[in-house]
Amino acid sequence: MIQAALPSPDELIRLSGLWKSYPMGPVTVDALRGVDLVIRRNEYLAIMGPSGSGKSTLMNLIGCLDSPSRGSYHLNGQLVSALPEHELARIRNREIGFVFQTFNLLARATALRNVELPLVYAGLRHRERRDRAAEALRQVELGDRMAHKPNELSGGQRQRVSIARALVTRPSLLLADEPTGNLDSTTSEEIMTLFARLHQEGNTIVVVTHERDIAERARRIVTIRDGMIASDQPHPPTA
Amino acid sequence: MILFEATRLAVESIRANALRSFLTLLGIIIGIAAIVSTASVINGLNLYVAEKLSNLGKGVFVVSRWGIITSDEEWLRAARRNKRLKPDDARAIEQRSDLAEVVAYEVHARATLKRGDQEIQDVDVGGITAAILEIEPYDVEHGRLITPAEEEHAAAVVFVGHDIVEKLFPNVDPVGKTLRIRNRDFEVVGSAAKKGSFFGMSQDTFVKIPFALHRKMWGTRSSLNISVKAADPALMEEAMDQARAVLRSRHHLRPGEDDDFGIVSAEGINSVWRNMTRMIFSVAIFVVGISLVVGGIVIMNIMLVSVIERTREIGVRKAVGARQRDIVLQFLMESVILSLLGGAIGLVLAGAAAAALENLTPLPARFPVWAPPVAFGVCAAIGIFFGIHPARRAAHLNPIDALRAE
Repeated sequence: MIQAALPSPDELIRLSGLWKSYPMGPVTVDALRGVDLVIRRNEYLAIMGPSGSGKSTLMNLIGCLDSPSRGSYHLNGQLVSALPEHELARIRNREIGFVFQTFNLLARATALRNVELPLVYAGLRHRERRDRAAEALRQVELGDRMAHKPNELSGGQRQRVSIARALVTRPSLLLADEPTGNLDSTTSEEIMTLFARLHQEGNTIVVVTHERDIAERARRIVTIRDGMIASDQPHPPTA
Repeated sequence: MILFEATRLAVESIRANALRSFLTLLGIIIGIAAIVSTASVINGLNLYVAEKLSNLGKGVFVVSRWGIITSDEEWLRAARRNKRLKPDDARAIEQRSDLAEVVAYEVHARATLKRGDQEIQDVDVGGITAAILEIEPYDVEHGRLITPAEEEHAAAVVFVGHDIVEKLFPNVDPVGKTLRIRNRDFEVVGSAAKKGSFFGMSQDTFVKIPFALHRKMWGTRSSLNISVKAADPALMEEAMDQARAVLRSRHHLRPGEDDDFGIVSAEGINSVWRNMTRMIFSVAIFVVGISLVVGGIVIMNIMLVSVIERTREIGVRKAVGARQRDIVLQFLMESVILSLLGGAIGLVLAGAAAAALENLTPLPARFPVWAPPVAFGVCAAIGIFFGIHPARRAAHLNPIDALRAE
């Protein structure tokens, strides 16, 4: 494993000996127990596992929403596991695009304003924000729904707005947590097709799911069990 | 995040909960409205008093038996000790104070005026020396003032206030007409222009007659008000000291004994008045301050509710890159704008109240120019002080928990 320790240019994420422990009253619960994982650019990876396996904890760490108890996390060659909160906020803003199961759109804001949100925190000017948000919405084929608020959109459209919001900062990683969990099968199919297309366009995508048929759309499936990686297999594209 | 964006978010959020925001602000609105209304009345009174006092003229002071009495004890003491002032006192000041340019005096009584079958009761009848007209400005509307010769000969002439003309000589030129005071006929030689009212009391119900005649009619017991005009307004303090020394020696007061008379100048009245209103105002500030503190606590409370309601929104914002200070700024801006809005509504109400008081009641009220900047400053401070805790609570939310919140 000595070669693997050397960073290669197409390496996006390197997790080494990652532990995450939570104090639960008198005892400490280890949600992750030594995870090693390398994700390269333009990979399409699914993280699978039953509930309680630690996959959500792993997603939070990869998404810089949380810091590991032990071990290291390099993103783009930068050691992010030791960064303070405001630096993590910057990484979340620039490097990571989140797609949530429940969409998490701001109810009072239009689709355009929702997509603009990350750019507000990136400090972009109004006009540039609007142009880029509009472009991201067109990318998910919602160019004609920009002025609609979330409650005027269907579930699939809402999820596409949230994908546009994730894409708008041109992040290094698209991180989706059960992206089809709240959608019917037809709409799920539509969203997964969109992910496949985004992957083809060069995006790196990590999908966290407990559904096997969603995981099987990815090119690599990592299974988590009891806080450790149980299996890590490439998954050839199906016709 | 730039300030503009935070402001925009705050306004959107306040508008989305318009009714709740308004109810939240009642404390601030009432507090600001109450204090600015009070300030308007006091300001109006101050301007009014200053304007009335300026009638007394520069470098003028009045020596009287009473001076300014501000309590019952003072009044009892003065009633026991203070001597009546006599024309000799005035003459002594005139002779022995080189800084006193004009010395005049006046004595008052109340009487019923009659003309034909018309009468006015309880009118202030002033017995004046002609010199008083050099000290107190009278705006003459018709005719002329009492002359020194008339005063000297105790002529039965009278100079009347505007109310007297209105009531006894409606639509007639009063000059040359006759007026009956205490069964004696007086010839009207002139009348004054309207002065208006002071605290709802007309200032125009008066007549002036020669001092000597007044003494004949009402006797010599009542005390004089002695008006002194200093030769140089800049030396008024010194002139007051001279007058005081003259009277103290005439009244045989030992050093260290209090004066047994009072000396009042426009500046003196003004400072007593201002002390009094300052006290009223500080009591008002204290009482209203409580309502502002309550208003602030209500804002804090509603902001805490708002943080809980928007936990998920905060989680989303953090997930897409909001730093803690962005969240603090957003919520702080909301509480500040909320508070400023309350201040603005309060100011509008106070402005309306001041206009209503001025026009519908005898109280003069003038909206003070310093009110808006001070009110907005105070409201911004309230917004920051009571908003910082909810804002920090929002900023310190764990994004993972926040995203999971229902």
